[in-house]
Amino acid sequence: MIGRIGMRLVEIFALPVVLTALWWVLSADSTNFFFPPLSSIVDVFVPTWFEGRILDDVVPSLLRLAAGYLLALLVGILLGSAIGSSTRLRQFCEPVLEFLRAIPPPVLVPILMLFAGVDNTMKVLVIFSGCIWPILLNTVEGVRGVDPVLRDTARSYRMPWRTTYVHLVLRGASPRIAAGARQALAIGIILMVISEMFAATNGIGFTTIQFQRSFAIPEMWSGIILLGFIGLGLSLLFRFAESRVLRWYEGMRRQEREG
Amino acid sequence: MTRKRSIAAAAAALAASAALAACGGGDDGGDGGSGSETDQVTVGVIPIVDVAPIYLGDEQGFFEDEGIDLTLETGQGGAAIVPGVASGQFQFGFSNVTSLILAESQDLPLTMVAPGNSTTGEVGDDFGAVVAPEGSDIAEPADLAGKRVAVNTLNNIGSTTINKVVRDDGGDPSTIEYVELGFPDMPGALSNGQVDAAWVVEPFLAITEGQGATPVAWNFAATDPELMIAAYFTSEQTAQSDPDLVERFTNAMEESLQYASDNPDEARAILSSYTEIDAETAEQLTLPTWPTEINEDSVQLLADLALEDGLIDSEPDIEAMLP
Repeated sequence: MIGRIGMRLVEIFALPVVLTALWWVLSADSTNFFFPPLSSIVDVFVPTWFEGRILDDVVPSLLRLAAGYLLALLVGILLGSAIGSSTRLRQFCEPVLEFLRAIPPPVLVPILMLFAGVDNTMKVLVIFSGCIWPILLNTVEGVRGVDPVLRDTARSYRMPWRTTYVHLVLRGASPRIAAGARQALAIGIILMVISEMFAATNGIGFTTIQFQRSFAIPEMWSGIILLGFIGLGLSLLFRFAESRVLRWYEGMRRQEREG
Repeated sequence: MTRKRSIAAAAAALAASAALAACGGGDDGGDGGSGSETDQVTVGVIPIVDVAPIYLGDEQGFFEDEGIDLTLETGQGGAAIVPGVASGQFQFGFSNVTSLILAESQDLPLTMVAPGNSTTGEVGDDFGAVVAPEGSDIAEPADLAGKRVAVNTLNNIGSTTINKVVRDDGGDPSTIEYVELGFPDMPGALSNGQVDAAWVVEPFLAITEGQGATPVAWNFAATDPELMIAAYFTSEQTAQSDPDLVERFTNAMEESLQYASDNPDEARAILSSYTEIDAETAEQLTLPTWPTEINEDSVQLLADLALEDGLIDSEPDIEAMLP
């Protein structure tokens, strides 16, 4: 038992430890101003981020990310199931969706700024405008893929539409929706940083860029590392939530494999 | 030759363009007298009105005369150009003085080699100002206190000079809420009321004035009538390993600055070759002045302001930054 846990820990931590050690050793005598030794980055990490900046910068960033992402999740799933349920609506919308999806959200920032102002609303909208596409398009595909026989069965049993939607459509599409949501999370973190490059006064991205501009290079690297940790943390959180929501699906897959 | 070789060695680890430049420098070495050598030199500049002299000087052949084959690379700003110079990708760069002071305070050794540009010194007719939209109740610098003011970069030369001007006028600059916006986004944000005022430089000063905005604070001219805003600089490494190149570059640069000062119409005309400024705006905008001497007092003053506003923690070594 102990041995198995030990093996698992080795599997998880071996590569990060090796990479960190490699970085530490290779950068130890670095005199390059822009690539300081890892030890000096580690030295500034705690004073830089844990003396006030958690509340001033990290929390605002995460709140904006959460707002934009959850909004995208809500709108994406609702709109996506509507479009996915109707062939006509889908054919009507598809070219426009593909067009809109191809527009990189950063180019929208100046336009969003014109009508959403320069405050949090603009930043949340930037995050939303990037996160929505994978969720929406995956929901459309997922809903479209729901077994038509099951749909007919639900109809002939006169199941109320709400029950049909929640238990058949949404659940049937949920593996695809989860895949879209996972993609959207990565996009959201990128856009969180990008939105803070414009008209910002706080945030992890904002602070990291300020460090770069004022040539506080170890502090800049500490911001980059912090972003990496946040990405890692959110991805673990996502995996946990996904395993809860999709427990039936994983069980079904396991059964299919073994049966 | 050893000098050339050390440059080549320094550049070896860098981008291909820099490596090519170093080879180019070495190839022509045997041509005879020192005057006929040609060095490939890359300069990092920002595509704004301020750097018109170097484009003009290149066109006039001042750099060629000094044995310099000039390539101009445009960067977003000091934060992009400084790393380029520090790494040797660019031999020289253009940056505002406050950014260079910030670099110095972080122990990134850079040396100024030539002045960049200076204020006209005339309150009411400078190339940069804080403007308020039509109908604003902001009339003088002190009124900026408590307002939302757009600057292109937080905690840099814009905010320190605005703070000084507001302070001198009896306002409390600590109550100003600075918002970071790109210059091109400022006219829109100003007319939408997203900011109460915006710090703009040419050509955006002419553009916002065309939209009915009024200048309310001349932060450069009012800070010091001889304020040097920006400078051309090099890395300490280049300054020490190739003082001859630095001297020739400085000579050519001074000649260019003088030529631009003497021929403002040509300076206006060359803007269209590297910016999107149209001929009509180029006619109207106020040019900076282009002195040929580095103004040491300005460097000290900007360092004092940076210290006062908390951009840096301790007095920087100004001497080390001067040629």
